[in-house]
Amino acid sequence: MNVLEVRDIRKSFGSKKVLQGVSFSVPENCIFGFIGRNGAGKTTTMRAVLGMLRTDGGEIEVLGERVSFGRPPAGGRVGFLPDVPEYYGYMNAGEYLTLCGSISGMDSKDIKNRCEELLTLVGLSGEKHRIKGYSRGMKQRLGIAQALMGRPDLLICDEPTSALDPVGRKDILDIISAAKEQCSVVFSTHILSDVERICSRVAFIEGGKTAFSGSIEEIRALRRDTALMLTLSRPEDAEKVLGGFPAGSKDSSDPGRIVFPKASDRDCGELMAFLSAQKIPIIRLERHEADLEDLFMEVIGK
Amino acid sequence: MKGFGAFFMKELRELVRTKRLMLILGVFTVIGIMDPAIAKLTPKLYEMMAEDLKSQGITMGEIKVTAMDCWAQYVKNIPMGLIVLLIIFCGIYTSEYSKGTLIPLFTKGLSRSSVVLSKFAVMVLTWTAGSWLCFGVTYFYSGFYWDNSAVKNLLFSGFGWWLFGVLMISLIVFFSAFAYSPAQVILGAGAVYFAMTLIGMYSKAGKYLPVSLTDSLSLYKGETVPDDCLAAAAITAALSLALVLAALPLTRDRKI
Repeated sequence: MNVLEVRDIRKSFGSKKVLQGVSFSVPENCIFGFIGRNGAGKTTTMRAVLGMLRTDGGEIEVLGERVSFGRPPAGGRVGFLPDVPEYYGYMNAGEYLTLCGSISGMDSKDIKNRCEELLTLVGLSGEKHRIKGYSRGMKQRLGIAQALMGRPDLLICDEPTSALDPVGRKDILDIISAAKEQCSVVFSTHILSDVERICSRVAFIEGGKTAFSGSIEEIRALRRDTALMLTLSRPEDAEKVLGGFPAGSKDSSDPGRIVFPKASDRDCGELMAFLSAQKIPIIRLERHEADLEDLFMEVIGK
Repeated sequence: MKGFGAFFMKELRELVRTKRLMLILGVFTVIGIMDPAIAKLTPKLYEMMAEDLKSQGITMGEIKVTAMDCWAQYVKNIPMGLIVLLIIFCGIYTSEYSKGTLIPLFTKGLSRSSVVLSKFAVMVLTWTAGSWLCFGVTYFYSGFYWDNSAVKNLLFSGFGWWLFGVLMISLIVFFSAFAYSPAQVILGAGAVYFAMTLIGMYSKAGKYLPVSLTDSLSLYKGETVPDDCLAAAAITAALSLALVLAALPLTRDRKI
């Protein structure tokens, strides 16, 4: 069963169309990367999923239940970490989690145990200071703990790593990876290396629409025949190579380099055979590993 | 109403930890002490000024201070306490909406009505404690120095002020349902107060207006009796209830 189904949601703010048909689905026990540029509509989509925003059209189902403005997902089944989490600065982490647990309807013994468990998970177990003195990374870690407090089936994180230093980012990604054991995670970001590290499925959103949705393997398969770069010892051999392989083109900055933007495994083999048969000396032949950045750039048309 | 109890306890903790409770109760205690102190010092001030006034040809007879003067000071000063309280509380809703502190709690099932009502309850409790503390301190000193029995309808006048304060708090609740800043909330509440005062000055409807509950001097002197104020009290209570109830659907529809 899919824990989250988003079908063709639309939303305009005045004349500005922010969402123009966003669709994706999140299966169980999966870390789902929701990728898009700043202002692409990620946060708007997440707010709609949480029932905090009135959409103009489309359907959202969380754990099989329809969600709309004023009808949020059943309390406690979805945990949410906002992009900039704000807390009550006069409380400490334990007190804040206790408040969250009480609101979720947990009993006091369960709250105590869960607090200890989560504070250990996020590395705040010995922290007795009030939240107003916390660094951004600590606030983000507390944010994940509060989101997991009610043992949700779905954890939604809105750009959890965007404002953090590399150490803070690693901590958050490790915690999110650990959270996968307990629930599915939807994690919006524009940092592609984070997605490649922990996500098993992704959706790209661009111009208010889902431009691509699928697993990381599907992306890799889709981009398998991309970018082969050949650097020749003698630039004058370039014409000979291009005569045999017209799909290639000279790199404008280096006349001795030829780029084959779409080359399959077979094309690669044929090129090597051609170079060998023609005895054309080369400096290197590189296969550019397909990554999310390529696909992202392709999706946004750059 | 899910989460009312937990959120109410959070509000109480906030009141104590942010020192708002201490500040508000401190202000009301000071006002309670000021009422008899000003009444007690008034003759001394006149005595000090008597020489100057004499040289200008004004002679003053002996001034006799009674409990009535002390309670007249109470009527003058208690609005100060109410204004301080309203200023402290005017951002109680809007600051949470704009900061986004409620969003994680809403996803855990906290209802918006619980937020509205628990904050209202905490404000009314604080106002109850503050206004009756001020009343008690004034009553104690007034009884200590003079005789409270000379002043009529004391308890009812205290109740009138309390009920009027509840209405002003309800205005904060109502305006917070759609305002975006504490300034808008306090301006809204202030505008309603001035409108009521103006209507009271130029209309026969004056005695039915909530502002008439604050006309304690007439009650002290016995010019009016509690029965005369019952209509105004009922209207004030009904209006307060209506404002709080109206805030519930408005807050539910509010974009956060």
